[in-house]
Amino acid sequence: MFRILFLFFPVLIFSNVLRVGKNEQFKTIQQAVAASKSGDSILVESGVYREGNINITKPLTLIGIGRPVLDGEMKHEILSFRGHHIVLKGFKIINSGQDEIKNIGAIRLYDSHFSVIANNIFENNYFGIYIQRGYRCLIENNRITSSRSKSQEGIGDGIHAWVSEEIWIKNNYIEGHKDGIYLEKVTDSYIYRNFSKKNLRYGLHFMSSNDCVYVNNTFDNNNAGVAVMYSNNVGMAGNSFINNWGDANYGLLLKDISFSKIKQNRFSNNTIAIFMDGATKVDFFRNNFEDNGWAMKINSNCMENKFINNNFINNTFDVGTSGTMAMNDFKRNFWDKYEGYDLNKDKIGDVPFHPLSLYAVLVENNPAIMLLFKTFFVDLLDKTEKIIPSLTPENFKDEEPLMKKVIS
Amino acid sequence: MNILKNTFAVGSVIAMLSCQSSGPKDIALGKDQCDNCRMTISALGYAAELVTDKGRAYKFDDIMCMNMYEGSNPDQAKNAKLYVVDYPTGKFIEKSKATFIKGGSIKSPMGGNTQAYQNKAAAQKAAAALGAGLTK
Repeated sequence: MFRILFLFFPVLIFSNVLRVGKNEQFKTIQQAVAASKSGDSILVESGVYREGNINITKPLTLIGIGRPVLDGEMKHEILSFRGHHIVLKGFKIINSGQDEIKNIGAIRLYDSHFSVIANNIFENNYFGIYIQRGYRCLIENNRITSSRSKSQEGIGDGIHAWVSEEIWIKNNYIEGHKDGIYLEKVTDSYIYRNFSKKNLRYGLHFMSSNDCVYVNNTFDNNNAGVAVMYSNNVGMAGNSFINNWGDANYGLLLKDISFSKIKQNRFSNNTIAIFMDGATKVDFFRNNFEDNGWAMKINSNCMENKFINNNFINNTFDVGTSGTMAMNDFKRNFWDKYEGYDLNKDKIGDVPFHPLSLYAVLVENNPAIMLLFKTFFVDLLDKTEKIIPSLTPENFKDEEPLMKKVIS
Repeated sequence: MNILKNTFAVGSVIAMLSCQSSGPKDIALGKDQCDNCRMTISALGYAAELVTDKGRAYKFDDIMCMNMYEGSNPDQAKNAKLYVVDYPTGKFIEKSKATFIKGGSIKSPMGGNTQAYQNKAAAQKAAAALGAGLTK
C-alpha cells in the first residue's frame, strides 16, 4: 500500500487541475494554458470556445467535459502542439481555417512526441489532424468528417502524417476528406480498425512510407480504397475494400512497392480490386475477391509476386495484364470459372487453369471490344482459345487449382 | 463547277476536323490519372503534360513526374512537346518558355515542389513571398 502511494507521490504534489468554464476560475482555455505548469490537467466545461489559435508548448492534459466546442471560425489553426506528452480528449473541433500552402487544419503537431488525441469529434475542417515530425503519437476513437468541398482541391486529408515514426491510428471514422489517412515518409506505424468512407481520393494513402502495418480497416466507396506507393515492407491484413466503383477506381492500388504481404483481405464490388504497377516480391495469401469487374490488373513490369490460396468468385475478369506475365507465381487458388476435374480426389484440379481469358487480353488492348461482353461470339472465342492457344501466354497458369473454396 | 467547289469546301472542313490540334489536352481534375505515379490529378497549378509527335497526351500531376517519365520512356519523349501550367492562371504554356521557382514553402503532390510562371516578374515576386528560388 505504502509503495503504491509512493509511486504516485510526485504526481500528487506537483500537478494541478485547472478548470475552464463560465463559472470557473478561468474563462478561456488560453488563460488556463498560460497559467498552467508542466504536467497539469485542464478540464474544460461544455460551451463554445472561439479563441483563435491555442498554442501548447508543455506537457498538458486537456479534457473536455460534456463535449465543449472549439470553433476555428474558418480562419484559424485551432490547436498547435509544440511540446511532448500532450493529451487531448473529449472535444468537438469545428471549422478550421484553410490554406493550400501552409496546410493548416484543426490540430497540428509540430515535433511532438508521445501525444494522444482521443475521443474527439472533428467537423467541417480543412485538414483534421496534421502530424509533422511526430514520434509515438496515438490517434484513437475520433470521428473526422467534412463536407466542405466536392472537389479534391478544396479540402485536405483527415489524418495527415509527414516524416513521423511509430504513429498509431486506431478506431477512427473518417469521411469526406481528400485522403482519409495520408502517410508521407512515415515509418513503423500501425493503422488498426479505422473506417474510411466516401473520401474524395483515397481511403488510406502511403507515400514513401516503409515498415508499416494496417489491419482490419474498412475502406468503403473511395476513389481508391488504399494506394500504396513507393514503399517497402507494408503489411496488409484483414481489411475490407468495398464499393470502389468508377472509371479509374481501385480497391487497392500498388505502385512501385516491394517486399510486402497481403493476407486475408476482402475485395468486393470494385471496378478493379487490385491494380499493380511496378510491384515486386509481394505475397498474396488467402484473400477473397468477389463481385469485382477485374479482380486483378497486373502490369507487365510486376515481377516475382506470389498468389497462393486466394478465392476468385464471380468476378467479370479474374486477371488482366498488359504483357506476358512470365515472372509471377499463381498456385492453389480457387477459381469459380475453373471447369476441370479431380480424378485422384486430392482436392486439386488435374488440369491447370488459365485465369487470363482471350477476351480480357483483347479488352486490355482495345477497350471498345467491351461491347461484345457476354455474347455468343466471345464464348466461342474463349472456347477456341482453350483448345488452340494463340494470344494468351501459355506459361501464365495456375498448375494446382483448388476444387473447393479456401476458408479464411 | 459548283459541285467541285462544294466538295472542296466540305473536304477542307473534314480535313480541318480530322487534324487534331497538337496542343495540350484539358485535364479533368479528380478524374485523370498521372501517367507516371498513377495518382489522380487534383491540383491544376502543378500539372504538366507531354504531347508526343503523334498527338497522344500524357498527363502528370507534378512537373517532377513529367521529368521522371521523360527519363524512363525515351521512345515517347522523343520529339515530344512539353507543357507546364502557369501557376496563377492555370493555363498551359510551353515548358521552354516558362520560369520555374522551387523550394521554400511550395508543396506539390509528388514532392517536386516546383511552380511554373509565364511571366518572369510574377515568378520573382512569388518566389520572394514563398521563400523559393528561381531555377533558371
